[in-house]
Amino acid sequence: MGRRSPIARLLRGALIALALAWSGLPILLVVLSSFKEANEIFAVPPALWFRPTLDNYATLWRERPEFFRALGSSLIVTFGTVLVTIASATLAGYVYARYRNRILSGTAFGLLAARMLPPIIITVPLFPILNALRLNDTHTLLILLYAAFYVSLGTWIMRAFIAKLPIELEEAAAVDGAGLPAILARVVLPLVVPGIIAVAIFVVVFAWNEYVFALIFTTRNAKTAPVVIGEMLGTVEGVQWGVIFAAATVQLVPVLALVIALQRYLVAGLTAGAVKQ
Amino acid sequence: MQTVRRARAVGDRRTARALHYAMLGPTLGLLLAFLVIPAVYVGWLSFTTSTYGQESKLVGFANYAQLFADRIFWRAFWNTFFVVNGIVYVELLLGLGLAVLLSGPVPAKGLVIAVILAPYAITESSGIVMWRYMFEPDVGMVSQLLGRLGIPELEWSTNPVATLFLASTVAIWHHLPFTFLILYAALTTVPRELLEAARIDGASAWQQFRLITLRLIMPAVLIAVLFRYIFAIRTFAEVWLLTEGGPARLSEVLAIYLYRELFKYHQFGMAAATGVFMLAMSLAIALPYLMRMYREVQRGG
Repeated sequence: MGRRSPIARLLRGALIALALAWSGLPILLVVLSSFKEANEIFAVPPALWFRPTLDNYATLWRERPEFFRALGSSLIVTFGTVLVTIASATLAGYVYARYRNRILSGTAFGLLAARMLPPIIITVPLFPILNALRLNDTHTLLILLYAAFYVSLGTWIMRAFIAKLPIELEEAAAVDGAGLPAILARVVLPLVVPGIIAVAIFVVVFAWNEYVFALIFTTRNAKTAPVVIGEMLGTVEGVQWGVIFAAATVQLVPVLALVIALQRYLVAGLTAGAVKQ
Repeated sequence: MQTVRRARAVGDRRTARALHYAMLGPTLGLLLAFLVIPAVYVGWLSFTTSTYGQESKLVGFANYAQLFADRIFWRAFWNTFFVVNGIVYVELLLGLGLAVLLSGPVPAKGLVIAVILAPYAITESSGIVMWRYMFEPDVGMVSQLLGRLGIPELEWSTNPVATLFLASTVAIWHHLPFTFLILYAALTTVPRELLEAARIDGASAWQQFRLITLRLIMPAVLIAVLFRYIFAIRTFAEVWLLTEGGPARLSEVLAIYLYRELFKYHQFGMAAATGVFMLAMSLAIALPYLMRMYREVQRGG
C-alpha cells in the first residue's frame, strides 16, 4: 500500500533485510559453523569465507553413535506417524465431508476441542500405565501418541479438501456399481493428494522435531534425534559446539528442504484446518 | 418386489452407516485412548494422593490446597503468565507487520517467504543450540557485541528474568512463521478495489489499514491469537533446555512445574492438579472460539 517514494522503498528494503536476518541468520550461522574448526567457531565477526572442514562430522560419527541411532528412530517414528495419521484422517475426513447427523457434528466438535488440551497433562496418567504395560521406549508408542495429537488437525484438513470435490463423480461411480471402498480408493484418493500432502507436511515437521513426549517416553531404543541434541547441549564437561552444530545440521536439512519445497501446502493446510472450514 | 427393494435399501443404509462409524474408528479411537480418557483420569487423580509403591487415596481438594499454598507454583504461574502474554502480543505485532510488508511488492517474494518460514522446520533443541550459540556468556557473538557497545550481556544462565526473556525470544522465533502465515493468507483475501475506493475518497494509508484491512482480517487475527495462547501455555522445551527452570526453580513455567512434580518428586496428585489447572486455563481462553465453532458445527457449516 502507499506511494513509492525512495525513502519508503529504502525502509521497506531494510525491514525485509531485518526479517531475513532474524529468521535465517541463526540457522545459517549454525550450518556454516558446523564446517569450522573449533577455534574459528566463536570468532567475531563470524567468518563467512573459510576453509571448510568435515572434522565435526567425523567426531560426531566417531563419538556419538547414539545420534545416528536416534536419527533412525526419528525416521521410523515420522514415517509411522504420517501413515497412521493420513489413513485415519482421510477415512474420518470423508465421513465428515459427506454425511451429517447429530453424532457426527458432536464428534467433529470434539475433534476441535481436543486440540486445546495441553499435551503434557496426559503424561501424568499415561506414564505409569505405559510403564506397567512395557510400552515406554517403543516406536509404536510415539507413533500412536503423535498421531493422536495430529488426527484432529488432519481430519479437519481432509474434510475441507474432500468437501470441495464434486459429489457427482462419486455418484457416477456408485451407479456403475462401485462400493464405498472402491469409490474411496479410485475416485476420492487421487483427487485429494494435495490435502494428503498438506497433512503430511504438518505431521512430518511435528513428528521429526517433537521434544517433550520423546524426552518423557523414551530412554534408549526409541530415543529421537531432538532429544539427543538436547542431551549434547547439557553435557557437564563443556559443550562441544562444533559437534552439536554438525548434529543439528544433519537433523534440520531434510525437513527444512521439505518445508521450503512444499510451502504452498502449508498455507492451504492452515486455511483448511484452522482459520475457516 | 417393491417392498423387497425397499428393504434392501434400508439394509444397505444400515450397513452404510455402520461403515461410516467404522471409518471414524481409528481417529476417534486414538483421541479417546490418548487424549480424552487420560484427561478425565487426570481430573480424578487430582483428587487423590499417590506415588510409586503406594495405594492411591482420595483426598478431596487437598492437592489443590497444597498447590495454591506453594510459592514455587505461583512463581511458575506468573512466569507462565508473563511469558505467554509476551509471546502472544509481540508475535502478533511482528507477524502482522511482516504480513503487511510481504503483501506489497517484494523482489524474489517466494524466496523471502521461504526464509521467513524456515524456523518452523527447526526442532526446539536445535533452536536453543542456535540462540545459545549467539548468547553464550562472554563468547557468544551477541554477548561480545553487547560487551563492545558497553551494554551488559544477557545473563540467561543466572538471572531468571533473562532466562525467560531468551526462552520467549526463541519461542517467538520458532512460531512467528505460523502467525505470519495465517495473517498473510488473510491479507491476500482483502479486495484491492475496496482499498482503492477508500484511497480515492481520501483515506490515508493508515486509515485504509485500520478501517478496512484490519477489520477484514480480524477473524484471522483472533484465530492466530487464540492458537498462540493455547500453544504458549505449553511452553516447556525452551526453558528446560536453557536452565531446566533454574536457578533455584525461579525460571520454571507451569509445564516444567508439572514435569518436576511428576518425574522428580513422583507426586502424581500434585502433577495432576497442575495439569487440571493448565487445562482450565486453556479452555477458558478457548471458550469463545469453541462456542462459536459449536454453533457452526451444529448448523452443519
